[in-house]
This record gives sequence, C-alpha cells and structure tokens, in this order.
Amino acid sequence: MTVVPAQQSGGGGGSSGLYDVLELVLDRGLVIDAFVRVSLVGIEILKIDVRVVVASVDTYLRFAEACNRLDLESGPRKDPGLPDLVGEMTESGARGKSKGALSGAAETISDAFQQARGEGSDGEKQSRPRARKTTASRRKEEQE
Amino acid sequence: MSTYVYGIIAGERADLPEHLSGVGENPLRVLRAGALAAVVSDAPEGLRPKRRELLAHQNVLAEVGAEGCVLPMRFGSVAPDDTSVTEVLAERAGHYEERLRALDGRVEYNVKANHVEEAVLHHVMASNPEVRALAEANRKSGGGSYDDKIRLGEMVAGAVRAQESQDGAVVQRALEPAADAVSVGPESTGWLANVSFLVERDAAGTFMAAVDRVREDMPHLEVRLNGPLPPYSFVEPGPAEPAGTTAGGADAGAG
Repeated sequence: MTVVPAQQSGGGGGSSGLYDVLELVLDRGLVIDAFVRVSLVGIEILKIDVRVVVASVDTYLRFAEACNRLDLESGPRKDPGLPDLVGEMTESGARGKSKGALSGAAETISDAFQQARGEGSDGEKQSRPRARKTTASRRKEEQE
Repeated sequence: MSTYVYGIIAGERADLPEHLSGVGENPLRVLRAGALAAVVSDAPEGLRPKRRELLAHQNVLAEVGAEGCVLPMRFGSVAPDDTSVTEVLAERAGHYEERLRALDGRVEYNVKANHVEEAVLHHVMASNPEVRALAEANRKSGGGSYDDKIRLGEMVAGAVRAQESQDGAVVQRALEPAADAVSVGPESTGWLANVSFLVERDAAGTFMAAVDRVREDMPHLEVRLNGPLPPYSFVEPGPAEPAGTTAGGADAGAG
C-alpha cells in the first residue's frame, strides 16, 4: 500500500507556501509552442539576481553594523572553527530566525508579488504596508 | 473562447476532482486524444499572473497529480481553442506518453536553504582574520567612517557569498542520493540552495529523513522543503538532469 506523505511546506508546516513554489509555476513546467503564454508583466522582477541586491551599499552597511555588534566570545585572535561554532549557531539561530541572511532579494520578490496580487484582489486586504518586512512576518502572510 | 491548459495526463484517467475550479473560477474539463488527455478550462478574459490565479493553477495540478502522473504546464499556457489542444496531443503523443511513463509514481520536492544571518556572520568573522581585524579597528574608532564600513561590509558580503556557494553544494550533495534526478532551480531568488529533486512517491519518507539530517547537521541554515509537487522541473529532459536518471522510465530508482 502506498502511503502518501503529508504535504511539506516551508520550514514550519502550515498551508502550501505558494511563495516557495511560485518560481516553479512561473519558470518550470511544460511549454508548448503552439500555445500563447499569458504576459507576466509586473512579475518579471523575479529575475533580479540576488547578487545585485547583495552588492548594494545598504547591504554593506548592514553587514558592517552587524559585525560591529557581533561579540566573538572566544576573543579576537582565536578562531573557534566550525565544530565549536555549531553549538553557538544553534543558539543564535533561534534568536536570529527573524532575519534570514540576504533577505533583501526575497523581499523584492515579495513586493513584486504583492504588487501583482494587489492589482485585482478585490477581496483581499489592500492596506498592507510596503515597508521592508522580516522573513518571519512575510512567512506568516503567505500562510494566511 | 480560448482554452487554458493545466497539464497532460493519461487518457484512461477520468477521475477529475469535481469540486475543483481553475483560473477565473472556471470549471475544469478533460480533452481526450488517443492515449492522452489534457486538463483544461475556459481561459478568462485578461488573465493576469495574480495570486489567486497562480494558486488555482497550482491547486488543480496538485489535486490531479495526487491521483496519478500529470505533466504540468507552465502557468499561463493558453490555446486558441479545444481543437488545437487535441491536435498538439496527437502530434507529440509519443513524447508525452514517454514522459508520463518516465515520471509515473514520482513527485518533485523543492528544497530551499538560506543562512541564519547572525550565524553566517559569526562564522565569517571567526574564520577570516582580515575581516576580524577590520571590524575590530572600526569598533575601536566608534564604528568607523562611512568608507571603512563600506569596505568591511563589502569584504563580509564576499565571504558570505563564498560560504553560500559552499553550503549550497553541501546541501545538494547530501540530498542527491535520496532522489532519482536533480534540477537546479531558477537562481536569483535569494537562496543559497534552490534545488528540485525527483523522488519516488514510495521513497518520499527516505528523502524527508535526508532533509531532516541536513537540518540537524547544518543548524546555521534555514532549510525549506516543499512537496510533493507535480514534476514541474522534470517534464522535459534537460541538461540539468543527470544522464540516465529518468529517461528510461524503468523502475531503476531508489529502492
């Protein structure tokens, strides 16, 4: 008997994370020449390379600030190496969950996505603030 | 009225989930041609890639795919009419039938990973004396000048990128043995790894266990798993697919 495993979505369960499969729906799948494809204007920003975002002054400043705040308990000259680090990472991982590294690009997509969805989403909330969001809050939205 | 196409299934399947509607909330239909069939609906006027429509597309394919193999179309495929759909099915019947056989009993799992920012910065600082020295100098001078900060930030960003590609490769290597085929997903979406794996439905448990091991072994990563999905990334054999993985369609997958 075949047991179909439950749908896995994202890191913490919940409803299907459309955001995570969005690019597969838009960028993968069968294409047949004889058929027309709907214009994806308004969603092309998906193609922005993450490197463009990473290599921004904003990111540099943010990293510099973060490094200044970062406390290397083991002292400036001692490299704890990865094995030692792993224990600390677990701890900091829990605290740092709300800001995934390099989330800038993901937010760009999220914004584009909201733009796209905002156009005709009569029933949906329109007053969503466009400010930068943390990964956590974004995920919560996806699961609404 | 033009026809929106969701995917291609084996013609003997007549088991469309009745409660489902497609894009524009239009009812689904099945168009048969020989041994093949297409799941379609009327295409709404002015169809746009809105959340609701993307969800409709994905939901139809998820439901149809749960009952058997489906070759998913990319979002937004619109044929002039029903006849042109059945014509395409007839024309390329051999190819689509082969793909349906090759992908039968297999689903796609998509894995995305990124760094927990604090953890990766900690690692970069700890393993890179140059970065550490610059950060130290900046801290001593009360944060450093704008240029100092930019220089530090640029150096850190470079080190983070290097760590990203390293960790991305590790994630992919760790999961490959549990899958029949691998397709590296579209880049540029903010992930250090974005990889789809073709997995036998019956071996999904093994694959998910492998993902759990990655999560345990690499706690500085956030790993997101999505699936089972229709095999979006495996409908066409391409260069991203290792040779001789699914093309034969034989039961040569992970046991």
